[in-house]
Amino acid sequence: MNIIRKIMTSRKYWPALMISVLLFAARSHGAVMLPGLETSRLDQKLKGLVLLEELNCTACHESRSSFAATSKRAPRLSGVGSRLNPYYLEKYIQAPHDINPGGTMPDVMAHLDVQEKKQAAEAITHFLVSLNKGPDFGLESPDTVAAELGETLFHSVGCVACHSPRNEKGEELLKEASVPLGALEQKYNVTSLIDFIRRPHDTRPSGRMPDMRLQSRDVERIAHYLLRETRVPGRLRYTVLRGRVWEGLDAEVEKERSGHTEDFDLMNFDTLNKNSALDFEGFLRIGKEGVYRFFLEMNGGTLWIDDKEVVNLIPSNRRGVKKVSGNARLEAGWNKIRFTYIHAGKEPRLSFEMEGDSFKRQAIPSSLLSISKTPIEPYKPYPVRGILVETGEHYFSKLGCGKCHDDIKVDSGGSIALSELNAAKGCLSGRKGPWPNYNLNDEQHKLLTAVLPRIETMQLSDAETVNKTLVTFNCIACHERVGLGGVMPERDHYFVGAKPELGNQGRIPPPLTHVGAKLNKAWLREVMLRGGRQRFYLNASMPLFGEMNVGHLVDLFEKVDALEEVSIPEVSNVKAFRNAGHEMVGTDGFSCIACHDFNGQKSGGAGALELIHTTQRIKKNWFHLYMLQPARFHQTVIMPTYWPDGTSLRPDVLGGDTGKQIEALWVYLKDGSRARNPKGLSRQSSELRVADVAVMCRGRGPAGYRGIAVGYPEGVSLAFDSEQMNLRFLWKGDFANINHGSWSVRGRDRIPFPTGIPFHRLGSMEDNWPYKRKSDYLFPHDHGYQYRGYFLDEHKRPTFMYRYGDIKVEDFFEDLLDESGKVYFKRTFSFESQRAQEQFYFRAASGNVIVEKPDNTYLIDGLTLRIVSAHQGIIREGEPRELLISLALPAGKSNLIMEYRW
Amino acid sequence: MRKVISLTCHDLGIGGRRKLISIGVMLGMVLLLTAPSFAAEDLGAMWDTAEEEEKYYQLIDIPIPPEVPLRIGCFDIHPDGRLIAGTRRGDVYFIDGAFDQPPAPSFHLFASGQDQIFGVAYDNGDIIITQGGEVTRLSDTDHDGEADRFYTLTNNWGYAEGHEFAFGSKPDREGNIWVALGLSSSYYSRNVFRGWAVKVTPEGKMIPICSGLRSPGGVGPNAEGVMFCFESQGPWNGACSLKHLKPGGFLGHPASYNWYPFVENMDAPSVEPDSQSRILIEKKRVKEFVPPAILFPYIKMGRSITGFKVNKTQGKFGPFENQIFVGDYTLSIVMRATTEKINGVWQGACYPFREGFSTGIMNVEFSPKGQLITGGFTTNRQWPVRGTKPFALERLDWTGLVPFELEEINIRKDGFLLNFTKPVDPNVAVRPDTYNITTYCHIYAGFYGSPEVDHTTPTVTSASVSADGLQVHLTLDRIQESHIHDFDLARMKSKENENLLHKKAYYTVNEIPLKD
Repeated sequence: MNIIRKIMTSRKYWPALMISVLLFAARSHGAVMLPGLETSRLDQKLKGLVLLEELNCTACHESRSSFAATSKRAPRLSGVGSRLNPYYLEKYIQAPHDINPGGTMPDVMAHLDVQEKKQAAEAITHFLVSLNKGPDFGLESPDTVAAELGETLFHSVGCVACHSPRNEKGEELLKEASVPLGALEQKYNVTSLIDFIRRPHDTRPSGRMPDMRLQSRDVERIAHYLLRETRVPGRLRYTVLRGRVWEGLDAEVEKERSGHTEDFDLMNFDTLNKNSALDFEGFLRIGKEGVYRFFLEMNGGTLWIDDKEVVNLIPSNRRGVKKVSGNARLEAGWNKIRFTYIHAGKEPRLSFEMEGDSFKRQAIPSSLLSISKTPIEPYKPYPVRGILVETGEHYFSKLGCGKCHDDIKVDSGGSIALSELNAAKGCLSGRKGPWPNYNLNDEQHKLLTAVLPRIETMQLSDAETVNKTLVTFNCIACHERVGLGGVMPERDHYFVGAKPELGNQGRIPPPLTHVGAKLNKAWLREVMLRGGRQRFYLNASMPLFGEMNVGHLVDLFEKVDALEEVSIPEVSNVKAFRNAGHEMVGTDGFSCIACHDFNGQKSGGAGALELIHTTQRIKKNWFHLYMLQPARFHQTVIMPTYWPDGTSLRPDVLGGDTGKQIEALWVYLKDGSRARNPKGLSRQSSELRVADVAVMCRGRGPAGYRGIAVGYPEGVSLAFDSEQMNLRFLWKGDFANINHGSWSVRGRDRIPFPTGIPFHRLGSMEDNWPYKRKSDYLFPHDHGYQYRGYFLDEHKRPTFMYRYGDIKVEDFFEDLLDESGKVYFKRTFSFESQRAQEQFYFRAASGNVIVEKPDNTYLIDGLTLRIVSAHQGIIREGEPRELLISLALPAGKSNLIMEYRW
Repeated sequence: MRKVISLTCHDLGIGGRRKLISIGVMLGMVLLLTAPSFAAEDLGAMWDTAEEEEKYYQLIDIPIPPEVPLRIGCFDIHPDGRLIAGTRRGDVYFIDGAFDQPPAPSFHLFASGQDQIFGVAYDNGDIIITQGGEVTRLSDTDHDGEADRFYTLTNNWGYAEGHEFAFGSKPDREGNIWVALGLSSSYYSRNVFRGWAVKVTPEGKMIPICSGLRSPGGVGPNAEGVMFCFESQGPWNGACSLKHLKPGGFLGHPASYNWYPFVENMDAPSVEPDSQSRILIEKKRVKEFVPPAILFPYIKMGRSITGFKVNKTQGKFGPFENQIFVGDYTLSIVMRATTEKINGVWQGACYPFREGFSTGIMNVEFSPKGQLITGGFTTNRQWPVRGTKPFALERLDWTGLVPFELEEINIRKDGFLLNFTKPVDPNVAVRPDTYNITTYCHIYAGFYGSPEVDHTTPTVTSASVSADGLQVHLTLDRIQESHIHDFDLARMKSKENENLLHKKAYYTVNEIPLKD
């Protein structure tokens, strides 16, 4: 692989590469282009089958075989008139091979004369557009700033695994080995292309174009990139820039967005951040040649006419706006104008006026501005005529369009069954006639004619089905599978990652060789069908092809891929094994965490795979095999073996027994996120993870400035306000993020509790429950409270301590599991008082809805609170309602015990 | 006085955005803009003495392993010889081997999960920390090496806004922890006792001491055991300074006047200071006013002065015994300071010492071997710091060579006594024109910072050199009360014809002694 990278980065290899690409091109010019088919080492028979499915032959030719169900269905046409440019549709229907060379859509009008072709295409377009229920198609100007970012994304997130990479001019570099895109700016508008990339299976249910699982923003950027040639008329082009704009727009400035605007008025912009710049570009139409004066009032900016500086004012944050002016001689006709406005100063403002001998001083009207010297035709909505609609539907039916595009339910008649096909006739005959013309090359023709006679009786083995599917969906464009294919040398350098230290493993998606023996089914399903990811350092995204389309692989991989069984040693003493594993992972052992992330904490260097999910993803047998000899599974792997020739480097651990040591790692890692932190684990991460003991943090956050957050090992957390001494939040899942002096909740299912002291003697049931208001400076000390900290138990769980009057209070939360394995908190208040205490209340919770249930249980919004000790709850009406618990303490020690479930 | 001056906000910038402050003095208008500045902030010229300083005090990095987030806020020394470090993230580490040559540190996490720790002290087997909201005693009751009891001595001050930092001392002779409480959002006192110094007794009683602080840094005793804290330049503070935490005193910033009603046995001063005045005037009007003991001319001597420690190494650190060593956050430097009590009021001088540290210095500590340990961090929120490392632990080792330095300045009724580390060249030292002295003060006002104003140039009327050549007694035609006396001794030579390592020193005259 390194050689390939060298080839790609060294110019001297380029001629050789170009020749190979050209040869490739010569072989298959203009014909249907299925890269998986071209590049894989798939068996000829299966290749024929793939082609048959991709051309959807069974849509016309009825077949009893199973391949009808797996054939690629044509794009859905309902709503197509909204999504696609009707003018493009018309051209495309008329001559699909010319408009989108390499596409699988056949020319169904080869037998018609030119005139009729044109008529039919027009009519079909009218018919399709008439089906529109959504808005009419229209054009939008692309955001060139987004497009710049989109260009990088397009070339790194995986698009170019199947589609051709492009040069700066947008020319496709590997056209002949790629799924063709055609001139997308003629086909889509920004909105419809974003919609398509975001949810490709809505219109193309067979999943050949996968859901790339990109962030919305990135999808938009890619769409803007692919449509950057779209031309829409406009007055001025603008770019918003941020950064050190006052130092000029070249250095340390980031473009934020771009678009069209009407004139030089800031009112056109909803939001403009301070210390940003607006760069306007366009042309100014002048009626009469002469000297014109420009009057600007602003904090800073520069005006150029025909690339000559006319006005320049250096911005300053230490003053307001200034009036400046400049002269320029303007020609009659279009004059290039560029104006950079710096949005800075005490009162960001802009006034921009022009004056000429016969031009009254005024703001430049937008009618004198244009983004282009030459006129750009505006898009005109496609005029649908009723009479053509009917004709169109007729053609649609007669030409058999409805056979493939079956979602709009237009009957397109019958055809010969697949079993009765004669290759000498019809679409394979090479003659023009009332049948689809697929523009197959000789090789494709051969593949199809060879497979046709066998198709009805053909049975595929599991391995063949796997291989056929991997080629159909071009999985091998990214993943290697021995004997089938892998990343093409021409595309290798587009695979990049965030962790160069990991070598090829840090940039190329993992091989699929033995994958069924490596991953357990649940994880395979997660990755293939639900977007589960582990290798966040890969820039290429693992896309989703749809359960219907590739779901069968989950079972088949397991059936097909088998490796020898390792004899796994018995775990005689779980604790000893777990401890041994703990030691080996840490810095006193093999220092796995030097390269691997552990429980969300970043590794010392490489940032290799997170370890705590290992046993959830990997089969144990494979783990043993891999640990013994990592290089067996990745030729270029960086991970060394710690048991060279099966002999451990640590004879002191578990008697030096290799099998036991590897099993010990497994046992330790099986604790997953509860695994005890290994020695030397980094504490740099801002995310706090809870392992086998409780974790705490405090400072500014959702529970005030004196909030204390506690994450418990059973996966529940709470926030305690040590100022008012009350519970403020419960939540589940991830614990917290900390920053310098502050923290925030990460988890879900947050249950809030009201602010205020926990205990109070209410004068009457109408009194408000006391809480600290801004000017209650001495609160809650003035209510007899004094916080005294906390102490930790053996699981590092805190017991909070404070005084309420002369009562000593301890407040302890335990994370426990009920019989069904569900986690809950048991909260125990321990009171100590020298004397008996007359009645006061504990405010347990508040909520809009509080319902009393049997067993001393209360439902408060999302919370179920059970009073375990012999105390009585009182629901106090109000907004919100409150659940109070009446307390009257005896002298000495007493308890209040509750359980919280949510 | 210029009509408009532009200065840069001075507080520590922790948790807050940098603010550009433009002040229309004549209009009395204070305008706050939250914006990055237009140019890289001027951190002032370097002293350009680092190379020479290195000959005497070697700067040594104590490596921090990659897994340890050591944004140091404070230090102490464990009786077992380990360095104790409290961090901004809320951890307490015990560090072994930090004083070894070369440093071979190993880090033990004693406690975690606390709020920003800006005060740590070993106390009777426990660790006492001062964190954002409280003073806490940390105990290891089961002796497994980690704290398991976090007893809150007090949390009885207000803590509800940004910039409300709390810096704590080590226990004084009676075991009290002194805490200096920064203002709310760095300008106001909206929560109880913000802008005050308080002391917390071993029993957990909190006793308010004095008002008038703004954005204090380190708190601790001078050589005589009297408690001081460092203060940041800003409103009512023309420059950073060392302030005496005098019980019952008012230390200059009136925002915290509002808490007197909450203090037993202490009445609010009967007058408030006037803005756009001078300390000389206001200290006579407001009898509780305790003028800053030592002013540190802005940028020349620090921009955000932080933690300090008195050198009691008994010569292991070279000269400068009993002097204050203090770090600066923004400029990544360490300076010296000396104090003396004149007419019942503390005052003294500050001196450049060492520059070129790798990060913003938050605190310093002397090791048992007499090394000066420094530590701190930078923030990612654009508060400028000269040192570029996100955090660092460093050490100054005395090489055994004594630099030629102005060791200390003392005031005399007719002038100053200059003490040098090595004998001066008497021929040079005796000449009055060897000594360039100017004086100035600041506008004492509610706006942000101040230019240096009211300059005077006293005449040195005589310079007499002691027999051993270590002291020069200068007489001046006039000493300016409540002025900084800015000494420039560029022409001074030692007997061995060396130049002074640092030519500058700054003496703040609060009082002129009635007799010597």
